Amino acid sequence: MSFRPFTSESYAQDDRPEAWRDVLAAVGLQPATGHSFFDGHATASHRHAAGVALTRLAAGAQSVGPLSQANDDLPIALMPVEDGMVLKSAGGHRIVPVGHLVLLPRGGDWSIAFQRDMRAIVLAATSEALHGRLSGKPRLGEPRVVPPGGFAEIFARLLDATARTLDTLGDVEWNAVSQALVDLLLTLAHQLAASTSDAGSSVTQAALLHRICQTIERRLDDPDLVPARVALAERISERYLQKLFETVGDNFTHYVRERRLQRAWADLSNPLEAHRSISEIAYAYGFGDSAHFSRAFRHRFGLPPRDFRQQEAERATAQHGVTGQRGWPQDALARAHQSNAEARSNVTRTGPGEPRTAERRHHHLPVEASRVHWGYFSRSLPPQIEIASGDTITIETLTQHASDAPDMMIAGDAAAESVFGWTRDKKNVDRRGAGPMDASVFGRGAGEGFGVHICTGPVAVKDAQPGDVLEVRILDIVPRASRNPKHAGRVFGSSVAAWWGYHYNEFLGGPKPREVVTIYEIFDDPDEPHARALYSYRWEPQTDPFGVVHATYDYPGVPVAPATIKRRHAVLDGIRIPLRPHFGVIAVAPREVDFIDSVPPSYFGGNLDNWRLGKGSTVYLPVSVPGALLSVGDSHATQGDGELSGTAIECSMTGTFEVILHKKADLAGRPFADLSYPLIETETDWVLTGFSHPNYLAEFGAQGQSEVYAKSSLDLAMKDAFRKMRRFLMNVKGLSEDEAIALMSAAVDFGVTQVVDGNWGVHAIISKRLFQDAP
Amino acid sequence: MKHFTLPVSPKTVHWGYFSKAVAPALTLRSGDRATIETLTHHANDDYERMIQGDPGAESVFQWTREHKAVARRGSGPVEGPFIRGAGEGIGVHLLTGPVAIEGAEPGDILEVRILDVRPRPSCSACHAGRCFGSNVAANWGFHYHDLIEEPKPREVVTIFELDTSGEPYAKAVYNYVWTPQTDPDGIVHPTIDYPGVRVDHATIRKRENILASVKVPARLHFGTMGLAPSEADFVSSIPPSYTGGNIDDWRIGKGARMFYPVAVPGAYFSVGDPHAAQGDSELGGTAIETSLTGDFEFILHKKADLAGTNLEGLDHPMLETDQAWSFYGFTYPNYLAALGADAQTEIANHSSLDRAMRDAFRKLRRFLMTVHGLSEDEAISLLSVGADFGVTQVVDANWGVHGTIRKNIFRCD
Repeated sequence: MSFRPFTSESYAQDDRPEAWRDVLAAVGLQPATGHSFFDGHATASHRHAAGVALTRLAAGAQSVGPLSQANDDLPIALMPVEDGMVLKSAGGHRIVPVGHLVLLPRGGDWSIAFQRDMRAIVLAATSEALHGRLSGKPRLGEPRVVPPGGFAEIFARLLDATARTLDTLGDVEWNAVSQALVDLLLTLAHQLAASTSDAGSSVTQAALLHRICQTIERRLDDPDLVPARVALAERISERYLQKLFETVGDNFTHYVRERRLQRAWADLSNPLEAHRSISEIAYAYGFGDSAHFSRAFRHRFGLPPRDFRQQEAERATAQHGVTGQRGWPQDALARAHQSNAEARSNVTRTGPGEPRTAERRHHHLPVEASRVHWGYFSRSLPPQIEIASGDTITIETLTQHASDAPDMMIAGDAAAESVFGWTRDKKNVDRRGAGPMDASVFGRGAGEGFGVHICTGPVAVKDAQPGDVLEVRILDIVPRASRNPKHAGRVFGSSVAAWWGYHYNEFLGGPKPREVVTIYEIFDDPDEPHARALYSYRWEPQTDPFGVVHATYDYPGVPVAPATIKRRHAVLDGIRIPLRPHFGVIAVAPREVDFIDSVPPSYFGGNLDNWRLGKGSTVYLPVSVPGALLSVGDSHATQGDGELSGTAIECSMTGTFEVILHKKADLAGRPFADLSYPLIETETDWVLTGFSHPNYLAEFGAQGQSEVYAKSSLDLAMKDAFRKMRRFLMNVKGLSEDEAIALMSAAVDFGVTQVVDGNWGVHAIISKRLFQDAP
Repeated sequence: MKHFTLPVSPKTVHWGYFSKAVAPALTLRSGDRATIETLTHHANDDYERMIQGDPGAESVFQWTREHKAVARRGSGPVEGPFIRGAGEGIGVHLLTGPVAIEGAEPGDILEVRILDVRPRPSCSACHAGRCFGSNVAANWGFHYHDLIEEPKPREVVTIFELDTSGEPYAKAVYNYVWTPQTDPDGIVHPTIDYPGVRVDHATIRKRENILASVKVPARLHFGTMGLAPSEADFVSSIPPSYTGGNIDDWRIGKGARMFYPVAVPGAYFSVGDPHAAQGDSELGGTAIETSLTGDFEFILHKKADLAGTNLEGLDHPMLETDQAWSFYGFTYPNYLAALGADAQTEIANHSSLDRAMRDAFRKLRRFLMTVHGLSEDEAISLLSVGADFGVTQVVDANWGVHGTIRKNIFRCD
């Protein structure tokens, strides 16, 4: 398959501009002169066939121009999606809105500026795609903007639909679609060339020739396809017809024969046409005599048709396991890496010898309504507290599932009562989720529950700036005991098999579907910490204090009324689940739009749901906003890899953290240099976090917060984890790509982090033991 | 109880396929034990270190213009002309066996206990007593279409030495980029497309000092172990399926107990694809492929006795270790049945972790409900908080996700 995904995540920061340049070059573009390439996140999907290349680009603001100096091939078609762009050419500046199509000459003095994000589909075809067909070479002197409507719209829609399905089209399907796209592009280019006001006679001639070639194409089966009849149909003289072909250095008879042979060649190599006999194919292209066809074919292609077909069939079989894919031209990258490898291998380890400021302070951040943000992250939240690098801080967190058993997990606890406080008249924490405050989407409540986690914070870190790395060490985690005198000292948690769980669409028994809450008791005894189930119940519609009915678990913190549910005791009898206390959510504020749903994890951390984030572990997060704005929440007593039902054993806990800021300038040579994702370090391992969409906000733009739920897959997350681990081994450990891949096969363990948080996760674990002998 | 020995020889191996039609190399009874030698099919990546002087290996790999000791390699055609060779390399693993179990019938479960696993030392003069393995970043690897350095694409062989003097580990010796190799029958192999082709070391460029100071902890195990399926006479050894096969889980080593559903009379157990170490996912396409010898014990569980045991309702492979049970989810749990006549090649077009995850979830849920008597709601809650899902492999066409549940969860009190 000729599909090729690209993501800047594969590359070390220094190598990204060159890699991106290659992506652009594949569709005849390059960064516009005088514009520095941005070094942020970029993704592309690319597919090519003979002479055709289609790419869907998603990257940050930038300008691009033509790669070539000459203007001797088919124009490039470019279509902005989601955001407009500015076209600069001799004709001045023009704004090109979404959905408009631009046809760009291969060379010349033009550029396109994407002022916000670059999101575009680009189709580049060369005459190789015509398989010998005469295009009449439509020449555009100037870029042309084509508004939607009519023929252009059909073209645009096909482009868009194709770009969306690039990775799933079979080879045969892709070949057919790419040919159709080239045909549409040609036709549109001819129309535009002909409509140019200063079109000379040569343009008219070219358009006429194009039309004649199309006529020929339709009538190749006609053995009596002679110049006289074609000329008659076009109402021109036979002599003029011949002259038209002479303008492109060909003649009618030769052209028709070439086209017939080319089409026969295509059919003979197409597995879908395998059922047709060779003489049938010959006849279909106007060869009445198969011996004559055989001779002509051999003369043209060097092989008799039978042998050619055999050879193609064998090649297809041989390639079954090894698809003939050739990648981006990136030899420059390999060279750059080689020269850097030496320098990079000298990496210093993180360790207790960290330089610290003389005065380290300890802080305490208790939880209460005014100190939490519920269901979202935001760069615009005022910090609760400011701490300095090297300080320690104790942060109390509450589970958003405390309301599943308010009597056990809220009652008597002033802090929890304040956060969950909700009466007919007053809701202490109104916004829950990143949705609209007026609940105009589903009517569930303020924030719409687009994001569910109670996060304590944010904590500002003094001097933190975008580009820095924040190291968060988890020194301790202590479960929060019930303050209800009835249950004093006991610890409880809740696990919900919810509608967002992996199992939800395939229940074996009825009622289908259903949501089930299991309440656990946590026994934090030092020898064998474990959890045991106390009781469970099916979710029943709950009416919140404002009168909204929640038929499913669609809004966090709705207190469950004991009278509405039926408790089932003796569940998971005799089963003890070992504890793995950890924080599901540790985040710094994302740089993007104001309110970000807390559910999908991404580059800024967030809902990582990896149980390895427990006591003794460290997470490194790339700082995106001044002050970093650290938030913590979603505490879990234990969770399995996968978090299958949608939640862990959700249990309020208090953590103590040491927070260390690493300034951008000091990152070189550290394991977390060039960090664009949350990196976890445990006592024994490095754990790299892969996601279906490593930076879904940048990749999908405005639609990100919904698209990420629709487009998650373990296959994508596995790819991301692979790329991150390769980059880590190459850049941090100084290995070559071949060494890195050998090591990934032999010693890196890939596991499923979660399949329930929208942006599904696969993590890659490498033991530090492998490198213990390293200098 | 009897103890048998099954050495490797052209008569005791079959190459690249499972088969109910091959005569058993050994027949034994439930409760018997056997020491079984296995060879890695990658030994020819470095003939001198892994074959030379070893009578067993030399006999199996022998291939000259006149004589090819094991002609069929794979489940493909055995009548020429060949694109790659007899069997066409549709299946690549050198398997020792089959071992027939007296009285085994479809519906029974065969338990195979791995009592011990030992590396097979080199016999060549220069390297005698030392143990070597080969890791190949191959064309079927997960990385192959996503390389960043040139040349693209490329296949890379890394030779490792296994050190068992203390805590066992593997260390890289050298690596090389695969170059087209011509086999004794004159067929050129531009990529690694047929097993057992001797690499002519005059055609490659060895790069030393690679993975310097990196020690890969050893995890000796058998990548491929399983029973003959009933669906076809010759079944590619690459995609794992309901009778086991190429599961490629490094936990299937010493101390492991594997359970397989018997599909044909006699069960027909085969073992091979020995590995010195592998990570979860086997990303580049192979592990550190190293010839090993194992001691096995075979226990037949008759269909009538399964009710009320851990094996009730088991129709797929299961692993039991001292700590945990593991279940293997595949893209297609039984791809032979699901994909029809062309299943053995078609499966490569459907590889997906998403489907494998789904399958692993279903198998674990079934186990918890059938064997542990949990309700569906209990099972699902427990899967979320007490079971771990990991990527077994993404390189064997029928991709795998395993689900593991710890035994200490069920410690009643």
